[in-house]
Amino acid sequence: MDQETWKFVLDYLSAKENAKGNVQKIEQEEKKIQEWLSKDPKHQQELEQALWLWENTSAPPENDEWKNSFNTIQASLVQEAPKKTIKLKLWLAAAAVFGAIALFTFFYKVQHPVLQSTEIAWITKSAGSGKMISIVLPDSSEVWLNSGSSISFPKNLQHAALRTVKLKGEAFFNVKRDPQHPFIVHSLNLRTKVLGTSFNIRAWEGHPTEVTVLSGKVAVFRDSAGRQSAAIYLLPNQKTVDDLNSAKLSLENVEDAQTAIGWREGKMVFDQTPVKEVFDAIERKYAVKIIADQSFKGCKLTAKFSNVSLNEVLQTIKMTLDIHYTINKQTIYIKGGKCN
Amino acid sequence: MGENNTVGFNGDLVNNFDGKAFEDLYRRMYPTLKKYAVYLVKDAEEAQLILNDVFIAIWKNNVRILNEKAYLFRAVKNAATNYHKTAKTNFLHIDEEEVPEVWDGGSDPAQTYQDKDRNRVLYQLIDQMPERRRLVFYMYRIDGFSYKEIADLLDISVRTVEDHLVKGFQFLQERVLKNEAEFR
Repeated sequence: MDQETWKFVLDYLSAKENAKGNVQKIEQEEKKIQEWLSKDPKHQQELEQALWLWENTSAPPENDEWKNSFNTIQASLVQEAPKKTIKLKLWLAAAAVFGAIALFTFFYKVQHPVLQSTEIAWITKSAGSGKMISIVLPDSSEVWLNSGSSISFPKNLQHAALRTVKLKGEAFFNVKRDPQHPFIVHSLNLRTKVLGTSFNIRAWEGHPTEVTVLSGKVAVFRDSAGRQSAAIYLLPNQKTVDDLNSAKLSLENVEDAQTAIGWREGKMVFDQTPVKEVFDAIERKYAVKIIADQSFKGCKLTAKFSNVSLNEVLQTIKMTLDIHYTINKQTIYIKGGKCN
Repeated sequence: MGENNTVGFNGDLVNNFDGKAFEDLYRRMYPTLKKYAVYLVKDAEEAQLILNDVFIAIWKNNVRILNEKAYLFRAVKNAATNYHKTAKTNFLHIDEEEVPEVWDGGSDPAQTYQDKDRNRVLYQLIDQMPERRRLVFYMYRIDGFSYKEIADLLDISVRTVEDHLVKGFQFLQERVLKNEAEFR
């Protein structure tokens, strides 16, 4: 059927369907169709095809996609009515806090006239070796800190135009969405900028920094002494590894970004990871010190451990790298070993 | 022709906008409205947030709007416009990678005809259309918008809307004829 024919066939079909009661309109279209039908007996068949397509496309097929989407807003639907009073109370509270701060700064200034009162107070939270902690930031973003990591954020984070935090080590972020106030993570020389997403940053001193995205969209760029590189943009199941040897940040697809945050359940995943880095990870997770009699330079290890004991980890490494080890309190001595 | 969900809502003003009605509205509007939001902001995540913000807003207003369909599409359009205004300036602009127009002539849809579910197969074909054509098709066929309404919502001419529809139907017809045996 050519385009001109389709045009009036569609007019006819939609008039029949939508122009409820508008008899005139329907008759008008019907007349055109009859005229066309009488020209060629094949036209009847064509009209039937068109009608078939029309009817079978009246609704999209059943699909549960909407349900998943709907579930994400259900929580927001519950809270409603008593909003006004809460708001008022919030204002009162805010006023009270403001007053208190004003008084405090006043006395503070009087007592320490030398100190600058404009300086922003930073708060630092750390997870020691063998520990993992989760924190809710003042803007209600959530952060899970891996063992041996720390995060610093300004006390007034929720009021800052740019929500800036500083990370040492590894953390998983679930950032509260606020398009007006981008959230930016400083980690070694990488900057990760988002509006509201979840992602993992691994930034251990001496190792390439990695950013892996679980949801949303993330911009990552380098910053060396204030000089910022072009940003690359990561989507879910993508990561960047900041290999300092290459001029640009690379983008990699990962099979399942969940692997990157397996550490939250005590998992350790090594994929062609330098042995030095593996030892560092074990030191942090089990709060031990590893002393090896060789450097394992260029040596790589691939292994998965789901929340197992230190002994089990060491046994596996013993078999893979052919090492001997002895444990003395919190120190592990490693002897021998060779790369495959 | 299945249940008649092509012609808007009959506009009854129901005072208590209960959860069931709201969920139902969401279910009916989702397929096209989501595509519309993606089309406008060129970003699935952002589109999802805009869509949900709009629904949350009408829920909180707790008033049943007369022509919900027109209202929702308009609200998504406004939200998308605002998004382009604010996010673009505030955030390091994130390159909106062109949504690839999948026009996959290579894969043979005949295989999928086996399940005989005509409606599903037809929508698989529709989903292969270029993004804008697909959206026009959805708005016209599922939501029952007129050419004029679609033209306004997409900022294109009525002629272009008609052209997309005609080409869309032609494409379906051609594919179905080619694989008629499987459709029986």
